[in-house]
Amino acid sequence: MNSLFDLLLQKPLPGPWLQGLLFVSFTLHLLFVLFTLGTAILAFSYLLIGHWDGKPWGLRLAGRIANAFRSHKSLAVVLGVAPLLLIQIAYTIPFFNGINLFAPYWLAIIILLITAFLAFDLLVHHLDSHRLVQVMLGITGLFTLLAVPGIFVLILTVSEHPAGWTTIIEQGYRLNGALALHWLFRYLHVLGAAVMFGAAFHYFFAAEDRKERRSLLRLLVAAILLQIILGLLLYASLPDKPEITANLFLFAGVAGGTLFLWYLFTLTGKGESLLSLELTVFAMMFILVSMLLGRQLIQNRTYLPLTAALQGKTLAHKKKTNVFARKSLDRYQARLNIVYDNGATIYANSCAFCHGELADGNGPEAKNMEVRPENLGAVRTTASYLHKILIEGIPGSAMPYFTFLDRNKLDSLAEYLNTNHQLIGNPEPVPVTVSTANLKQAKQIYAQTCSQCHGADGRGTEQSRSYLPPPPDFTAYSLTPRQMFDVISNGYHNTLMPGFGTLPEGVRWGLVKIIFTKRDSGGKK
Amino acid sequence: MEFPIFQMPYLGNGMTIALDAVLHVVISHGLAIGAVSMVVVGEYLGQRRASEDWECFARDFLHLIVVLTTSIGAVTGVGIWLITSALAPRGIGSLLRVFFWPWFIEWAVFTAEVVIVLLYYYTWKSWTGERKKPHLRLGLGYVAAALCSALLITGILSFMLTPDGWPWNKSLWSGFFNPSYLPQFILRLGMAYFLGTLFSVTYLVFTRRDGNFRKEALAFFSKLALFSLAVTFLSTIWYFMVVPSAFKTHSLYAVMTSRFSQQPELFWTITIGSALFLLLFWLAALRRSVLSVRILVIPAIIVTILFVTQFERVREFIRGPYLMPGYMYSNQVLLEEEPLFAKEGMLPNSYWYNATTEPDNPVSRGAFLFALNCSACHTIGGINNIMNRVRGRTADGLYVILGHTQDMVPFMPPFSGTDQERRTMADFLFHLANGTIKIGVPSRFTPLNGGPEHE
Repeated sequence: MNSLFDLLLQKPLPGPWLQGLLFVSFTLHLLFVLFTLGTAILAFSYLLIGHWDGKPWGLRLAGRIANAFRSHKSLAVVLGVAPLLLIQIAYTIPFFNGINLFAPYWLAIIILLITAFLAFDLLVHHLDSHRLVQVMLGITGLFTLLAVPGIFVLILTVSEHPAGWTTIIEQGYRLNGALALHWLFRYLHVLGAAVMFGAAFHYFFAAEDRKERRSLLRLLVAAILLQIILGLLLYASLPDKPEITANLFLFAGVAGGTLFLWYLFTLTGKGESLLSLELTVFAMMFILVSMLLGRQLIQNRTYLPLTAALQGKTLAHKKKTNVFARKSLDRYQARLNIVYDNGATIYANSCAFCHGELADGNGPEAKNMEVRPENLGAVRTTASYLHKILIEGIPGSAMPYFTFLDRNKLDSLAEYLNTNHQLIGNPEPVPVTVSTANLKQAKQIYAQTCSQCHGADGRGTEQSRSYLPPPPDFTAYSLTPRQMFDVISNGYHNTLMPGFGTLPEGVRWGLVKIIFTKRDSGGKK
Repeated sequence: MEFPIFQMPYLGNGMTIALDAVLHVVISHGLAIGAVSMVVVGEYLGQRRASEDWECFARDFLHLIVVLTTSIGAVTGVGIWLITSALAPRGIGSLLRVFFWPWFIEWAVFTAEVVIVLLYYYTWKSWTGERKKPHLRLGLGYVAAALCSALLITGILSFMLTPDGWPWNKSLWSGFFNPSYLPQFILRLGMAYFLGTLFSVTYLVFTRRDGNFRKEALAFFSKLALFSLAVTFLSTIWYFMVVPSAFKTHSLYAVMTSRFSQQPELFWTITIGSALFLLLFWLAALRRSVLSVRILVIPAIIVTILFVTQFERVREFIRGPYLMPGYMYSNQVLLEEEPLFAKEGMLPNSYWYNATTEPDNPVSRGAFLFALNCSACHTIGGINNIMNRVRGRTADGLYVILGHTQDMVPFMPPFSGTDQERRTMADFLFHLANGTIKIGVPSRFTPLNGGPEHE
């Protein structure tokens, strides 16, 4: 097994177990989601009835219903952990793609839930505040809360219809006609179920007298009727018609719903008697489970073949990468042993591929660059100028800035370079004697030509500092006399610095000398 | 890659997770563990000392905690998972499989936590007299469940820094009980109780009226806080001792970022200064100075949250090139895939590239290569803006650098792709930095127009 190890191939449990656990944990989660949504919808509705319909009992009932919100929502959230884990393992690729295609909405869930939960908590504790405050809190809480199942339904709808994925990417987070309609009915069907389960729950646990119970019973009946209509619309909007087993489960759910409805009618006919808790729990769980089984089978029709096909593709890919497995582990081990805390290591890893192991500018990548890496062995500069180059880089070249290494690391790099290549300090004296005449001519040429870019003071001009790359600052940066002489003679390859090889040799040495004096003058002309 | 590219515009992926995660850590550690423990202790002291003050303080404080933990705490916790599902599906999908059982058990523990805390909260007023003892046990049961939660989550978090032998033996146990597991757990515990006492005194000095009780409670919490401070300090040292040096050496940069990396003395001044401030704050509280606590407690909370942020930032940053060390790079490319992509190409192996982009458009190719290779950390125009990172470089320079990202910048993963793809992306970055390519939909890296010579 180790020889073929890709985590996305792994199933920590056999398929049927995974699906069974997913079904059970999802049903449990959904039950509390429905209670939460139902509680919110009912509490807000009775609040409105209480305030504007002149029915004070509505307010009392709203208060009692709202009290259950905190427990319901807390359980809905924690119970969601298992199904989220299991669906991400069982149907990794369709589910993550569904999330991804509507990622902004998915991420908004966090903010929506926090807002909704805080708004309802505030509402529950301020039921004595002004009615407008209550309604504002209720509206905020309800709308943010109800958006969340809409997003979950959206993600699931998308994940079940891979044929539409590329269109969604192209259209930018939008659903097209048929799928959008399907989404709408599915979402409304969830809200209908929420009212149904909420009404049933609060009939037993919040209602205190006959009036309240009758009101909730009427809502329950209305919700079931609505669910049958919405269910039919939802069924009609399914892009592919379900197979027989799925139809059977759905039919069982509808039949259960109809029987339960008939029971409710007989009860209201008798007027007085109470709804039986046992029977209600049984009937509603029967409806929920058979509907969810039907739903699961419909979902599996796309999820299972898609997952199997992708599993095959992943396996083929894994076989190709597997030949590199051992080598990449060795490389990982080797990298763990490289600690970038000293100049030698930093130079060898961060610099040498351009500047070369010998720092002569002949690293393995040098040939790929128009502006060649500098021969560091020939550089004579100051500590602060070196640091400036390291943290700013050289625009118009490959030399990047190294601020991703902290000051201590850059100092140790500078120290390493200086120890091995005497980078910091003044250039050696010019090795030839330059005649006064040559020096004079060199001064003239510097003033007339060189200073156009390098500036009279050697610091460069306003304009030349924007060149790519800009000329170096001669008051802080020089090369060895020989290297300087070569650059003056041949130019600096692929930069604006031309060669002046036609000048007499003595004059060129004179220029080297003049440039070196800029180092001592500190920029004075 | 089997997943399309999505990036949070402007914020980037890291900051999106960080904003949610820091809030979660402050609430889950500080309130769900730390403050609830203080509530249980308060209830116990109320019984023991027959003190109505302690009893009421604990009860009222619990109300606020339950509101905040069940709404913000729980949602931001699941939120970290929701965010990573969208931003790093392959990473989270893989972690879920390594830690399937801890994760599954966490579901049960988390549910137990919520059920117990709700029971504890709702039965406070009804379980009196004889039933006060079982009520206290309920509180202790909650704290135990919350600690179990922390024990499970820390296994996953510490694995992502020090997976130990896991890359070789793929065994859950060596991944879970890894070298940084225990020190990190104790460090988190120290943090939890430090924050918990801080929140407790805040609630105390702003809601309680009785002077004597305030002073008594203040002295009590200060002792606990100073003890947690010592535990946090010592476990931080222990924690940093077990983190591999190759990672540890980037800690300072992790906090200071490019902007301040050249002022390491600033880091030490602020860190030591802040730690001293917290120490002095608690010494003042120990001397029962209600006034100084009232004035300084909000700054103290801010400083502590900054410390928490710093700790989490360092932990997340220094493992640098890896999302799962030894297995997956931070850009969700597997270590063993990189050589394959160098041979065959990254784009031919990307389902979504082939499904969504027009072929042979170098700009789309460059943008997609950027998305696959870099978008886990870099944005275009937002935080860690790639345009600033590459500005000034020549196209050939970028080509060279792309071949050595993991050498040059030790916390960057290598570029995955063929030589030709490396060239394509270098050109893309060059034109991007020079403004000749603009990006249309930043979350998906759709280019708006091509650079001049790409037409």
